[in-house]
Amino acid sequence: MTSRDVLFAAVGLITAAAAVLAVTNRRVLHAGLWLVVSLGGLAGCYLVLGAELVALVQLLVYVGAVVVLVLFALMLTRSGGGEVDTSPAHRWLAAGVGAGMTVLLGGALVAAYGWDTREVAGPGNEHIGEEIFGTWVWPFELLSLLLLAALVTAVAVATTGHSRDRAA
Amino acid sequence: MDLPLAVEIILKAVVVLAAFLTLPLAIGQTEHKVMAHMQGRLGPMEAGPHGIAQLVADGIKFVQKEDVTPASADRWVFKLAPAVALIPYLVALAAIPWSAAWVAADVPASLLLVLAVTSVGVFGTLMAGWGSGNKYSLVGGMRAGAQLVSYELPMVLAAASVAMAAGSLSLTGIAQAWSWWWLIWQLPGALVFLVAAVAELQRVPFDSPLADSEVVFGPYTEYTGLRFAFFLLAEYAGIVVMSLLFTVLFLGGWSGPWSDTLGPLWTLLKAALVAILILWLRIAWPRVREDQLQRLAWLVLLPLALVQLALTGVGVVVWG
Amino acid sequence: MNEDKPGALQALRGLGKGLATTAKTLARPAHTRQYPHVEPDLPERSHGVIALLEENCTSCMLCARECPDWCIYIDSHKETLEPTTEGGRARQHNVLDRFDIDFSLCMYCGICIEVCPFDALFWAPDFAYAEGDIRNLLHEKPKLGTWMERVPDATLPEGYARPGAETPAQDADGPVGVTEPSVGEAGSSAEGTDAGDTSSREVEE
Repeated sequence: MTSRDVLFAAVGLITAAAAVLAVTNRRVLHAGLWLVVSLGGLAGCYLVLGAELVALVQLLVYVGAVVVLVLFALMLTRSGGGEVDTSPAHRWLAAGVGAGMTVLLGGALVAAYGWDTREVAGPGNEHIGEEIFGTWVWPFELLSLLLLAALVTAVAVATTGHSRDRAA
Repeated sequence: MDLPLAVEIILKAVVVLAAFLTLPLAIGQTEHKVMAHMQGRLGPMEAGPHGIAQLVADGIKFVQKEDVTPASADRWVFKLAPAVALIPYLVALAAIPWSAAWVAADVPASLLLVLAVTSVGVFGTLMAGWGSGNKYSLVGGMRAGAQLVSYELPMVLAAASVAMAAGSLSLTGIAQAWSWWWLIWQLPGALVFLVAAVAELQRVPFDSPLADSEVVFGPYTEYTGLRFAFFLLAEYAGIVVMSLLFTVLFLGGWSGPWSDTLGPLWTLLKAALVAILILWLRIAWPRVREDQLQRLAWLVLLPLALVQLALTGVGVVVWG
Repeated sequence: MNEDKPGALQALRGLGKGLATTAKTLARPAHTRQYPHVEPDLPERSHGVIALLEENCTSCMLCARECPDWCIYIDSHKETLEPTTEGGRARQHNVLDRFDIDFSLCMYCGICIEVCPFDALFWAPDFAYAEGDIRNLLHEKPKLGTWMERVPDATLPEGYARPGAETPAQDADGPVGVTEPSVGEAGSSAEGTDAGDTSSREVEE
């Protein structure tokens, strides 16, 4: 066990615990805040594994923007404070699906790599950049087109509603 | 200079913490004085010569005050919010280089790190807005959330432009690649970054989340004592971090005459000038209305940042 | 968007103006006066406190009556003056026992000063007489007299000399500087309404 292993285990435990709390919490806003901890912990996992670019992008995009939007929406609708109660059937179903996914993913990983430890040697930032903007540039551009289409549609939806209001 | 790793880490941590606790106070004191003189006043004069210890006195006052948690507050969210607002700036300060050698945590993608951790600071404001159980806080928190998300994008794009020009994500690398003509080449980006930084700090003219005439004091309305002081400290630490970041990205950091020996002083001087500019805006300009604020971000800053990116791309291809 | 909105250029110019104005103010010395360390430069006729010139007071009670919040307390008694000439009539005059102003009630309207027919009350520029206890703001006649020191010369009655200055030739007994109406008449008229009792005002203790 190196110090990196210990660190990874610690960050992983925090992430997992925060994820469980996010799912089981009855108050939606608290769940959102636990999600922040969980996603931040995931960024920590990436960092320990040496994928710092992914870690920082995770922090910047998911924690800094996506969850902020989620929390913002919760505050806007004022639904963050109330308690959410799901039926036991729902809970058991969710727990079953979660456990099944865990077993499936864990089993696949163990089957693929076995139990022995492996060196983590991810590519550096430069390599990732070259791959994205070289080999994978077309999919990347296609993705940006998708985002652009979504943006234009959002604007269209927002403005057409307005004009109808004004006409009425 | 071969120190054991542990000693070096502890030493660096102490130095960063000391800078984190003193530089914001210096900014705060400067704000007191500059604001006072810009309004034809003297500012604090009683605590120490020319009121030099005013903020220390304020700190003592804050410590003595009762730490009130409102009955309808979301207790833990309310109590943790100041720390969440404060700590990201501490991390960011550690990653910003003062000169090629003077950097506490020299990580390869330090620009991304600083931008990422400062974006986490939003949660402090959001948590405070939600946790206070006060409608003004909630409105202020929502305004802060909307504002910070909108201005994050132009800010990151402007920073990306510099990173592209330098061909590096490391702040040290960017500052080393800087040369004086970047002042003109990266000017639109610098303006976008400065405006977005002021908006991220929720300073005038972008202080509508805290607008005292509209939402009392926004997310900080219910806070008292030390927790309130932590929010203030976070605000001024934010000014320190943003000024240093602007200096390193757009003003060449430590470059200047005799930068080998005087490098950190150049950084400090430039950052101080940027900080005073940020303070100056608060004194000179009125508050921007909420809808104007969003228009500015999406209709002015974002296109400008994109134009800057294109300009940088062309420049890198032509000269690079 | 039909409103007359300033263009972007105008807005920028406005912002620049804001910066320029504040910068100019920064370069100029501040207007602040460091009050406790530096005495304020007050005009000499500042309305700071009400001073009493005791020898001019005839206990006529006009000030106490006119005071809107009844903060002046006057007690006096009558003394008989022996006739100065052979066969003359003995005269009575009022002797002031008590003249208090409660500055915790006083609202500095200055009506008492306006109505005083004998120039016994004056505005003095002193202002630093705050007290730790509100009861200590009830000032008695010796204290009210000390404020006469800084009453500006221009407002003093003609012929009045400050204590210490060389005394001009003046009847020591008569009120200083007042010729009209004479003391006796005013005093008796005040007495008439008070049915002989000069301490007419019920003073709350």
